Amino acid sequence: MARPKGYFTIAGPDREGLVRLAGTLNALTAPRRLLPPKLLKKAPPNLHADLSGLASLDLNGATYLLTLRESLRAQGFTLVYLGLPPRLIPIWNLAKENLLGEPSAPPPAPLGFFASVGKGLFAFAGDLRDQVSFLGEIISHLGGLILRPWTGRWGSVLNVANGSVVDALPVTCLVAFLVGLILAFQSAMLMQGFGVDIFVADLVGISIIRELGTLLTAIVLTGRSGSAFSSELASMKSNAEIDAFVTMGLSPGRDLALPRILALTLATPALTVLADLAGLLGGNLVMMSIGHPFRVFWDELALHVDLSDMATGLFKSLVFGFTVGVIGCQRGLYAAHGPSAVGEATTRGVVTNILAIAILDSLFAVLFYVLNW
Amino acid sequence: MSSTGKTTPDAATPPPLETLGLVVAYEDDPPLLENLSFRAEAGEILGILGPSGCGKSSLLRRLVGLEIPRAGEVKLFGEEIFASPAALARARQKFGIMYQSGALFGDLNLLANVSLPLVEFSSMPPAAIEASATLKLDLVGLRGFERHLPSAISGGMRKRAAIARALALEPKLMFLDEPSAGLDPITAGDLDELIVTLARNLEITFVVITHELRSIHRIVDRAILLDRGARGIAAEGTPQFLALESPSPAAKAFFLRDA
Repeated sequence: MARPKGYFTIAGPDREGLVRLAGTLNALTAPRRLLPPKLLKKAPPNLHADLSGLASLDLNGATYLLTLRESLRAQGFTLVYLGLPPRLIPIWNLAKENLLGEPSAPPPAPLGFFASVGKGLFAFAGDLRDQVSFLGEIISHLGGLILRPWTGRWGSVLNVANGSVVDALPVTCLVAFLVGLILAFQSAMLMQGFGVDIFVADLVGISIIRELGTLLTAIVLTGRSGSAFSSELASMKSNAEIDAFVTMGLSPGRDLALPRILALTLATPALTVLADLAGLLGGNLVMMSIGHPFRVFWDELALHVDLSDMATGLFKSLVFGFTVGVIGCQRGLYAAHGPSAVGEATTRGVVTNILAIAILDSLFAVLFYVLNW
Repeated sequence: MSSTGKTTPDAATPPPLETLGLVVAYEDDPPLLENLSFRAEAGEILGILGPSGCGKSSLLRRLVGLEIPRAGEVKLFGEEIFASPAALARARQKFGIMYQSGALFGDLNLLANVSLPLVEFSSMPPAAIEASATLKLDLVGLRGFERHLPSAISGGMRKRAAIARALALEPKLMFLDEPSAGLDPITAGDLDELIVTLARNLEITFVVITHELRSIHRIVDRAILLDRGARGIAAEGTPQFLALESPSPAAKAFFLRDA
């Protein structure tokens, strides 16, 4: 490191235990060890340090020398400082007063195992309660909106739908198209061996329409829109904009969260239909590449995919859209204060959403099986 | 300077801060400040004054090397800071800065905030770093708050903690951006006292950007008054001179606005 006109030299200790310090001693020139262990081994227990060669000394340097004396004492050496130039005495005394002052408060002790498990459980329960109460709030606002639809903020619903769903169209369709392509390709490899490659159409069709189109759309929206909701609302919260909202007599749940949630809920099924179509096109492309005409894929689909497949997929997408919106907004509005709160709210929103989508999808699978849809 | 050590031959020592023909401008806009030349002498508290929007903060960003001026030189202790990346890196260890908001790192407690420059740039052992950081917090009256997070203390305390952090490497030059903005008169007065104490006891040169009249009269030794119309220094001198004797209409407007 560059040490502009700063140098610091140490000589000794000699046989009498005298160390000579000279030059400029500050934070940048102070060495990690004034006396390396190798030298200390040979040194007598009573050490003297001659400071008369110090050209300058700042508070960092003085503190350094004083703490060094303490640490040497712990190792069984006594160190006496001699010959401090008079003009450095005020600085020396200032540093000394501080070290003699009351010690600073020790850091809080880390929690024990049971305490931290308990704390974690309470935090989890509190988190769950927050989510349920927020869900309740949103449902009650939704009820109010159904009774008096003209009170809704339909302008912002349209804005959000435009910004977070329409703009998500290209990426969602591309992902769905590629997944349809991969799915068809992998299964075609296998099925061609049995001569049943015509059924690739059914496999791709049912997987995309019942499961994958819906799931992919929900996950893309989580990453694109749910996270945006969390970070927007969390930064509004840390800027006290949410407080300003409340004190104006507005409700963040009704006026900020509900339009976002509604937009996502209503637009997700539409986006899902398009994603399904893209996925099917991907499958069709593979079918055509192994020698089936364009129409064959769709005729096969018409035989085996019925309206209930379509309905289950779209019903799920409605629920997923609602979930992504609710969790995204909840994480934002319940964010903590502080610089890391926005990032944390966004991360937690995305993680919770992906988890919720996976759990809901499993529940739906069981439900539809039992209902025989 | 009271110290007569051989390392500080007064005549040859360059001033802590000197600018030569500095031009402050954004993008293609006409410059905010033109041909700006001034210096801060060792040990003085230099005020950079001016109404909002006259380019004080933009000037500060160039003085500390955050942005490159369109033209002109900034010299810290005689070394042009924009000469090379290495010169800029060296310059950054020669001054401390307190930002208007404090700009403490929110995830670190006060002790860790103040220790950070020492941990990064010094090879002192951890015990010495902790003792030294505690001392800096003690100097600004924050003993007992070492383990507090910045979010848990008041705005005035955050500014003092920011001064402690700027003091960590004990630079001989400190920049303060609006130290008393947003503080109540009592807290602002305490902060002013702290600045004067530090300047006198540790022989630190302060460059203070401010528009608080009370604070100007309490701490500033010499001031330059920036003016939008003049695109540069409208008046220069002690606060008393600027307030009472300066012929400059900008100085009259600035100092007498609420009289």
